[in-house]
Amino acid sequence: MTKAYSRFLSALFCLFLGGILVWSLILPDRERSEVENRTLAQWPEFSWTALKDGSYTDAVEEYLADQFPLRDQWTGLKARAEQAIGKTEFNGVYLCEDPLFDDGTLISKVETPDTELVEKNLSYIQRLTEKTDIPVYLGLIPSAAEVWRDKLPAGAESWDQTALLEVSDIDFRAALSAHADEYIFYRTDHHWTSRGAYYGYTAVMEALGRGDETLSITHFAPETVSGKFNGTLYSQSGVHWLEPDYMQFWVREDGLNVTSWRMGQPEAATLYDRSYLEQKDKYSAFLGGNQPLCVIRNPAVADGGKLLLVRDSYSDSLAPFLSQSFSEVHLLDLRYYRASAAQYAEENSIDAIVVLYSVPNFITDKNLVFLTQ
Amino acid sequence: MVFSSLTFLFFYLPITLLVYFLAPLRWRNLVLLLVSLFFYGWGEPVYIFIMFLSILIDYTHGLLVEKYRSDDKKARWFVGQSVVFNLLLLGFFKYWDFFAVNLSLIPGVRIPTLGLPLPIGISFFTFQTMSYTIDVYRRDAPVQRNIVNFGAFVTMFPQLIAGPIVKYKTVAEALDHRMNTTEDFALGARRFCVGLAKKVLLANAIGALWDAQLASQGAGTLTVLGGWLGLAAYSFQIYFDFSGYSDMAIGMGRMLGFRFDENFNYPYLASSVTEFWRRWHISLTSWFREYLYIPLGGNRHGTAQTLRNILIVWLCTGFWHGASWNFILWGLYFAGWLLLEKYALRGVLPKLPGWLRHGYTLIVAAVGWGIFAIEDLSRCGAYLRTCFGGGVLWSAADGYALRSYALTLIVLVIASTTLGRDLWHRLPERVSRVLAPVLMLGSLVLCTAYLVDGSYNPFLYFRF
Repeated sequence: MTKAYSRFLSALFCLFLGGILVWSLILPDRERSEVENRTLAQWPEFSWTALKDGSYTDAVEEYLADQFPLRDQWTGLKARAEQAIGKTEFNGVYLCEDPLFDDGTLISKVETPDTELVEKNLSYIQRLTEKTDIPVYLGLIPSAAEVWRDKLPAGAESWDQTALLEVSDIDFRAALSAHADEYIFYRTDHHWTSRGAYYGYTAVMEALGRGDETLSITHFAPETVSGKFNGTLYSQSGVHWLEPDYMQFWVREDGLNVTSWRMGQPEAATLYDRSYLEQKDKYSAFLGGNQPLCVIRNPAVADGGKLLLVRDSYSDSLAPFLSQSFSEVHLLDLRYYRASAAQYAEENSIDAIVVLYSVPNFITDKNLVFLTQ
Repeated sequence: MVFSSLTFLFFYLPITLLVYFLAPLRWRNLVLLLVSLFFYGWGEPVYIFIMFLSILIDYTHGLLVEKYRSDDKKARWFVGQSVVFNLLLLGFFKYWDFFAVNLSLIPGVRIPTLGLPLPIGISFFTFQTMSYTIDVYRRDAPVQRNIVNFGAFVTMFPQLIAGPIVKYKTVAEALDHRMNTTEDFALGARRFCVGLAKKVLLANAIGALWDAQLASQGAGTLTVLGGWLGLAAYSFQIYFDFSGYSDMAIGMGRMLGFRFDENFNYPYLASSVTEFWRRWHISLTSWFREYLYIPLGGNRHGTAQTLRNILIVWLCTGFWHGASWNFILWGLYFAGWLLLEKYALRGVLPKLPGWLRHGYTLIVAAVGWGIFAIEDLSRCGAYLRTCFGGGVLWSAADGYALRSYALTLIVLVIASTTLGRDLWHRLPERVSRVLAPVLMLGSLVLCTAYLVDGSYNPFLYFRF
């Protein structure tokens, strides 16, 4: 090796390591990551106790990783490399072939759940039924991995949701499977699309014995509000090369009266918060994202009855449809609402309670215990 | 801090190299000592005191052995003290709980467990410092009178946490009179990139397959094919993980001006178990040969003693790998095969066709890795039973795994042979001159992508 060539190789090595070091020192720290939808670690405060138990150095490592330059691009590069060597699973997300879209669709793998937790969660719902005279319905929404099982790569594993879905009082499986060849789940996000949510609405109406009142699909005029939706699966997988999803609002908000309890106080709100459409987290445009309690009133169907949903985020896009058939739809999120759901239902003269979760959330949820109070 | 982490690659290493090469030559051992202590303290701030203790005691014992050289009895006494101290250190931190648990099984005996975290690299540095006093006594190495130089040897960060076990005599010369050349730096950097790619791109990738097979064993869906796929995956994982780590250590050593001995020599090319162990973790096997097997008498005192010595050495080798019964079993498993090859198969093995000898060696090694990897012996037994026919032959999930990992496995097979190296040497120089920096940069970029992805932690309002 000549001296000049040695110098060249050494410089290459040092410039790469040192370059990134300098770059990340110069780069201003970011507060949060849009793509990862979380706040990023900041430089930790020093203390001798933290140093002694090792938490200080851990925090520094976390800070350095979180503030690493071009995080999203590196992740995308990794996914590309994995694809090149024939992988179809990316951090727990399958890239599947899809007759609807040339470049495929992303489907999240469902891991085998902790059986004990699932049984506990089911028992909490049983307890709620015993606590109140209001009829309680359990609604479990199959995830894309179940409805679109035939799209998964051959032999790819995902927990079989069939047995659990049988205890659901609302048959979302049948409603969604009948339309499995349509665009019912986003390709880059784990939620159902507005079209999927519409079929979910028909299943709810059917289960509540009001199938004949269900509004037909032609009743709605979908408005495409964004063609650039890159959802959670886009972030989780690092697969950044799919065409973004498009997002639609099917229900007009005219005449609806929406109240949100974001800070413990009622505030006027809207069915859609269009400011989210300009951000990464576009799904939060439905009802404006996470909140403890939200009530949608529709004076136009004054005799439609009152519905309480104890729910996960799938209901954000379902609620607009329900608001067209019920005079009041109450949405209660057990992560933030910690008072008694049964009592709330009594006080607001609710006609039916629906505990409505997607299967992946239901089998991992640890807040359902609050239903028993 | 592991080498394959963003913190090490983009913060610790560049800053360390900068400080090291800015320092004048005579200060470099001090710099090396300080940065190594920082490196050690990063993961275990409290355990730095073990490092100081170890440096101090072995440094003094080296001096004492030298001082009483004329009085052999005293010199041996000090060598013994140093060995006992190192073994006590290792025994206390690594094996206390194991003995406490197992001895407490005897009725009437109650020994409390301590639950102390294992000080990083303790299995390596205690063996290194033990070799120092022994080498001084045997006149294989000169005594080190400068405590900074000695401290730099004990703590030297490239080999501190995962070896290779560097004997004092291999670096004695470089510690006192070191040359730092650009060529060494360049070759070291190149070697480091190779090791990094082995660890991050190969070992981690195939490790996921092993984890999946182990999980399906737990769920009761493991098949015969899946079982062997898992063993193959783990065999590759541990080889590329460990040898990649050794490559990075050797590379960084070279960048700093030290030459460490090779630790691996294409072990999966071996055509007998005996040969496998001449090619696997060479620094450990040669340590045991030099400081245990030969002092015990080696093979010079008849069959019975040779048998005893081999059993002792392999019991220790197994136990060194971890304080758990499966490691002891693993050591004895290999002792069994080595004895079989030494006595029963001596006439048979050489007459077999090459592919059969290679196949036999690989299967013995892979089953060994099964024992090594699964600490719970009953679970380990269940896994191996499945491999040997106790289950359905294959399932659709195996098909998916094979398709997903086909290319990775092909790359791993090729990388386990000398093919890549031979091709590299046959390339015309003008080609390899261009290719080397391209591959180095490619390795760094891809590894960075994989490491960043590993730290990537999207909070998916997934739960909601």
